[in-house]
Amino acid sequence: MPELTFTPVIGIEIHIRLKTDTKIFCSCSTNPNDPPNTNICPVCMGLPGSLPRLNHTVVEKGMLAGMALNCTVQPRSLFFRKSYFYPDLPKGYQISQCDLPVVADGYIEVHDAEGRLKKIRVNHLHLEEDAAAMHHSASDGRLEGASTSYVDYNRAGMPLGEIVSEPDISSAQEAVEYAMNLQRRVRYAGASDADLDKGMMRFDANVSLKCSDGRWGRKVEVKNMNSFRALERAIEYEIKRQKKILLSGGEVLQETRHWNDAKGVTTASRVKEFYRKFIVEPDLPPLVVGQEWIDKVTAMMPEMPDVKANRYVKDMNIPREVAEVLTDDKNLAAYFEACVSAGANPVRAANWVRTEVLRVLNERGQKIADFTVRPEVLAGLVGRVDDGKLSTTQGKEVFDYMCANGAGLDDAVRALGITEGGIAGNALADIIASVITANPDVLEEIRSGKDKKGKKLKFLQGLVMKETKGQAKPQEVAEAVAEAVK
Amino acid sequence: MKLNSEEVNEIALESRLVLTEQELAGAVRYINNFLNMLDRFKELDLKDVEPFSFAEALECPLRDDEVIPFTNTQAILDESEHVDGSYFKVPRIMEE
Amino acid sequence: MELYELNLWMLIEGLKAGKFTPSEIFTSCKKRIDQCEENIHAFITRTDDNPQPGSNPDGIFSGIPTVLKDNLCTTGIRTTAASKILGNWKPPYDATAWKYLKDAGAVLMGKVNMDEFAMGNTCGNSAFGPTHNPNDISRVPGGSSGGSAAAVSAGYVPFSLGSDTGGSIRQPASFCGVYGLKPTYGMVSRYGLISYGSSLDQIGPFARTIRDLQLVMSVIARHDPMDSSCFREKNPDFTHHEDVSLKGKRVALVKEFQDFTLDAPISKAMNRTCSVLEAEGAVLTEVSLPVVARYAVACYYALAMSEAHTNLERYDGVRLGYTVKDAAGVKEMFEAVRSYGFGSEVKSRIIAGTCLTEPSRCDEYYVAATKVRTLIAQEFARAFGEADFILQPVTPSLPGKIGEVDEDEMKGYETDLYTLPVNLAGLPGLSFFTGYSGELPVGLQLIGPRWSDPALLDAGTVLERQLGSPRIANGGVK
Repeated sequence: MPELTFTPVIGIEIHIRLKTDTKIFCSCSTNPNDPPNTNICPVCMGLPGSLPRLNHTVVEKGMLAGMALNCTVQPRSLFFRKSYFYPDLPKGYQISQCDLPVVADGYIEVHDAEGRLKKIRVNHLHLEEDAAAMHHSASDGRLEGASTSYVDYNRAGMPLGEIVSEPDISSAQEAVEYAMNLQRRVRYAGASDADLDKGMMRFDANVSLKCSDGRWGRKVEVKNMNSFRALERAIEYEIKRQKKILLSGGEVLQETRHWNDAKGVTTASRVKEFYRKFIVEPDLPPLVVGQEWIDKVTAMMPEMPDVKANRYVKDMNIPREVAEVLTDDKNLAAYFEACVSAGANPVRAANWVRTEVLRVLNERGQKIADFTVRPEVLAGLVGRVDDGKLSTTQGKEVFDYMCANGAGLDDAVRALGITEGGIAGNALADIIASVITANPDVLEEIRSGKDKKGKKLKFLQGLVMKETKGQAKPQEVAEAVAEAVK
Repeated sequence: MKLNSEEVNEIALESRLVLTEQELAGAVRYINNFLNMLDRFKELDLKDVEPFSFAEALECPLRDDEVIPFTNTQAILDESEHVDGSYFKVPRIMEE
Repeated sequence: MELYELNLWMLIEGLKAGKFTPSEIFTSCKKRIDQCEENIHAFITRTDDNPQPGSNPDGIFSGIPTVLKDNLCTTGIRTTAASKILGNWKPPYDATAWKYLKDAGAVLMGKVNMDEFAMGNTCGNSAFGPTHNPNDISRVPGGSSGGSAAAVSAGYVPFSLGSDTGGSIRQPASFCGVYGLKPTYGMVSRYGLISYGSSLDQIGPFARTIRDLQLVMSVIARHDPMDSSCFREKNPDFTHHEDVSLKGKRVALVKEFQDFTLDAPISKAMNRTCSVLEAEGAVLTEVSLPVVARYAVACYYALAMSEAHTNLERYDGVRLGYTVKDAAGVKEMFEAVRSYGFGSEVKSRIIAGTCLTEPSRCDEYYVAATKVRTLIAQEFARAFGEADFILQPVTPSLPGKIGEVDEDEMKGYETDLYTLPVNLAGLPGLSFFTGYSGELPVGLQLIGPRWSDPALLDAGTVLERQLGSPRIANGGVK
């Protein structure tokens, strides 16, 4: 009997917080740092009689995020009411676009197990409101076995985009790459900060296994993953769990499971899931997006990271690996491009940014936006090293000095006592003359022809090099000293 | 009968309603009469009919993304008997 | 003559001319309320002991008393929707329609009775007990806006606001003998109206003359950005014209409705109104509304309940209203709050709405109803190609006795056939007074195409001129 093999079939739903000043249906602030239950109003609290009002910028950010995933904007979309009873949901239903979304039919790429590029189709991105934040704790601060939950409605009504992939993902690694790529792209588009630590990006995964004997397990929805690591571990765990069931001839149940990050397991949800069909939200007429608006948002779209990286490789001869590092962060790429615009050689500038700039940022835990050495300054430095005015070692010293002291390029060079272009000509002749004057006996020895092996001459050359602090070209020094002792 | 009392009771619980025996009996009668009335829809050919929307092709108006804080948040909090400090306090959710 | 007997426009003119003062009006109305309220029980909450002065002394309604149906939010004043579940909820904001009235100077005398969450047509389905018809206190005032109609009919106030989801303004207006307008859907902002069926709900006025309705509409029918379904280029003109005519206007009767039986006083009123219309130069015609006649009731209740059950999901005891403490869990808390807080009619409709939108039945019922609604709207659109107005009854019979219950609710629902198609198609409908049958007033209904509200009221002016205005009901006072 041939050994059974299993192919994971995975789809991912990703919620991202769209970047706006106000909530999706009311004018309350989205500031996450405000005290609990201060950013509330009749609308986001679902008070009787209140009605939702759609935020223009939420739609625009949704379009930007969708375009970043190669989606098409839908000219007409709708909102629905999705019902469930929970204290975090003030109206008892969530207003969501569900299956008539503002953007649809996109894709992004990941690498498969063989390293080949593979398209993961994005079914759609739909707009919806977030629920309130719940904190579960006992009076003594314990989480386990606590008797009460605390609700903060500041989060209720925050704007979300839910991005639903097709089940094109085949491994936990692909899933993570998909999520990271998606994060990078929506950040590029300015649609979301997608900061995992702040809960601005959350994952659910649908996992099933196709068995080589023709069986296909039911779809299991795994919820509650809040980091890339959790996403990877949860999917790996779920694949293993389902494989075990199928191998033993059992049947995988269609269910919702929760990822327990502390224990590293998924557990069946005790909540009976409602598969209630949604009713149309009667308080919001259809969302109509005209061509003019689509054109405007299209024009707002920046170059996406993969396109940018390809351009670096093709037009600037930058190695792919370096290009990918530079384009990982939109601001870093912008920094690099500003260096190039200021006249730096692209390949050298790329190396400088990739090694020196990132090293300093890492050491300091800073972001590129906070970096004090302006790109045109770095371009100047790269240029001087290129021209030979500074040696590579000197260049790095100057760079470190600028980072540490906030100094300009010329000031740093001066402060470090560096003579640009090195010591040559009259300056070199003066040094040689003074060295010779200080060592008359050595000169005498050479001139008398006793220095057969040239050891004394080398000695004088060494002294001169020392005096120049290494800023003279050794060849030039050697020739000049030999001439001077004649 | 389209729905028996067990089914109606389940729907009621889904709506977070616990019915007395008398209420349940009334609801069963009500729902079945109601569904019978709705059976009329089957006489119509609705295949190519669009779900209703207003004739003027009403479009969703859009609001500017400008913060206007609600000034009376305290009045909202004052209406709840479950406010504890700056939070709303509810029984622990056991379902997760 | 007492001041409370004066119509709205008379009060405004009298105040302007300095014939009397706002406080004299207030005192007269309060006296009238004190005199009749024991018999009528229109109020849920009275605010006339601590009257809220209108915020604008120069407003058109400065010093004019009014009452609001208790599903309109009023800042700091208890708002109940006639349900136990809202407890003593004091909204932190005003409904826009009330805000507009307040800005015009109107004085709130109180919040008036209704069927719980506007579900009902008798005003008897209230957690605060029934309201009585001021024309005959043994009878119902109609509903759900029964308190608003009764208050105007009894002379408590010259005008009031109610809401109409399937006839809840027009039917009580007819039963109480006042004028009531259900405006075009989107004409008046719904912001602050506690929702029943959101795509059907509309706020509208009650008054004792058409001219008064026009005055109220000129204040409340304004654009409001807070309601996304209240959206239009410019506000309509509700100026009153005495010299309007119906000459050449086509007024249609519905062919299919003529097979249904009407109580004698109502068919008599139909005949009389037709003669008046013809005498005024209108052309009587006929339109056919077969889908409306057979399917509107089922369509209406399917949609109203599907929307209502979601609108009522927010009542869980966490943020406001009736609640329980120390429940074992959240589910138990929600169950305890909702099972006690909602009345039985509301519970039945919640269960029905939940049932219709279950995935297994959604296409068969909810989605089918949204499609039938399209057919109904199309049918009306065609009809209004052939007619300027449609004339029809409000109800097939006059108000029944309080406490009479129909064992089969569906039969009760069928009596709403004349009012609820108007909400399905988002049309304006005017309930107008035609005369009395004994003690009881008889009203009929005139319907126009969408946004024809000003023309509808102009037609009402002609009818009022010919049929006469209603008197103030005795309010059970001999």
